Amino acid sequence: MDVKRQYFDCVINKVEEAYDRQADTLKDIAAAFGSCMDHLGVVQLFGVRHGEEFVNELNYRAGGIAPFHALRLRDLVLMEKISQSDVDDGSIYEDISVADRFKEAYELDDRDMLCLVSFYGNEPLVIELARRAKEKGQKVVGVVNKKSYDKVKGTLLDYCDLWLDMGSEEPDLALDVHGVKTGQVSSTVSNVMAQMITAEMYKYFIDQGKEAPILLSANVKGADVHNDSLTDPYGRRVR
Amino acid sequence: MIDAKRFKDEIIDLLNTLYDSQSDNIEASAKLIADCIEKDGVVHVFGSGHSVGLGIDIKDRQGSLVPIHIMDMSHFVTKGGVPVEEFMDKKNIFERKPGVAGKLYELYDIKPQDVFIVISNSGINGIVIDIADLAKKNGHKVIIITSMKHTLAEEPRHPSGKKLYEFGDIVIDNCGPHGDALLETTGVAKVCSVSSICNNCIAQSMAARVIEILQEDGYELPVLNGDEAHDKALREKYEGRA
Repeated sequence: MDVKRQYFDCVINKVEEAYDRQADTLKDIAAAFGSCMDHLGVVQLFGVRHGEEFVNELNYRAGGIAPFHALRLRDLVLMEKISQSDVDDGSIYEDISVADRFKEAYELDDRDMLCLVSFYGNEPLVIELARRAKEKGQKVVGVVNKKSYDKVKGTLLDYCDLWLDMGSEEPDLALDVHGVKTGQVSSTVSNVMAQMITAEMYKYFIDQGKEAPILLSANVKGADVHNDSLTDPYGRRVR
Repeated sequence: MIDAKRFKDEIIDLLNTLYDSQSDNIEASAKLIADCIEKDGVVHVFGSGHSVGLGIDIKDRQGSLVPIHIMDMSHFVTKGGVPVEEFMDKKNIFERKPGVAGKLYELYDIKPQDVFIVISNSGINGIVIDIADLAKKNGHKVIIITSMKHTLAEEPRHPSGKKLYEFGDIVIDNCGPHGDALLETTGVAKVCSVSSICNNCIAQSMAARVIEILQEDGYELPVLNGDEAHDKALREKYEGRA
């Protein structure tokens, strides 16, 4: 079979499997996010390496819900709080003091909650962010690849109220091209799960008789005014 | 009713449409990229906003091709001298700017045999169009990934009056709707965007086909396989370029 078709089929099968196994969790996470926002909280997102794709899928996204905010290493590099070389070689994820740099860089609020995305769920920085949030009584959602998490004996989920499994194999290589393993599916399937959460959040707000704060694509006429009306009340907390 | 199941069912339909309608364009792109790699070329990937995800997804993982170079917008600040305040604007005004892309382009070691992939869902903003234009003027093949439904529904923002797809040797339509969000609501906005999901499927299936073509041609595969010495040697081969 065409290797391109094989990739599409792998994604589709994994998406069906993710829904079959985790539909209730997706709803529970959407309700937790929605409830946080009901109380003027913002969902703070942080992703390790490729986990940032899941973050991008929820943060300031066309057709997404407004009160999310991304904790980004790139912002800290641009603000000269950390070095690019530490990000590139991955040593930044060992440095728990980066949690303090995020605190300095952004307007974080006790009403906020945290969503952490890490394939292995074992990086000291991610554990520290989760630990601090729990200490403050904030809810924490984790997104890990469970087979990889189990392999390295990750500990992130010890701090999580709810968690999702990316559902990929370990290592994340879905295709065998004449003996060469390739074709990562974890981010693509996670992106679909992020959008399934968005759909359930929309339902959460509508079921309560509220308007869902949905952002428009910035590249549609009139979007800036609409989007500003949703984000301005939060000031710097959401951008 | 909008819920997770509805999104799941509709995204699966869309992915099947994407494959059926764009498989030939993905195939042609894979051939272009394999040819570039066999000539020791590198694929430069540029996308602004959420379109950065495509390059990230196929880079720096076990099973990934090494000669992929991401043209990172943050290099405007870290290497290109653009003030951070100008770059980190609240409303993404920076990505709409025409005339600044040259600063980014000049930062990289670009060789004649290199190929460009430029991604933008709307295909109307200044920087992506300027990068594609520069690549074309310098004689490179350019693969464009965009939403044709979106780009045809919006007015161009670029002074040339052109849109991104007009610069492509190959244009891959990610088949996403205008505005990117898939599901109609009772309000003004639709919900649940699809471009990142579709773009990842385009990129991953293309990369797998590139690997297969390189195998067919008997070219030594520049693919990370988790073996430390092998991967280090590969990274060194492309150091400074990818």
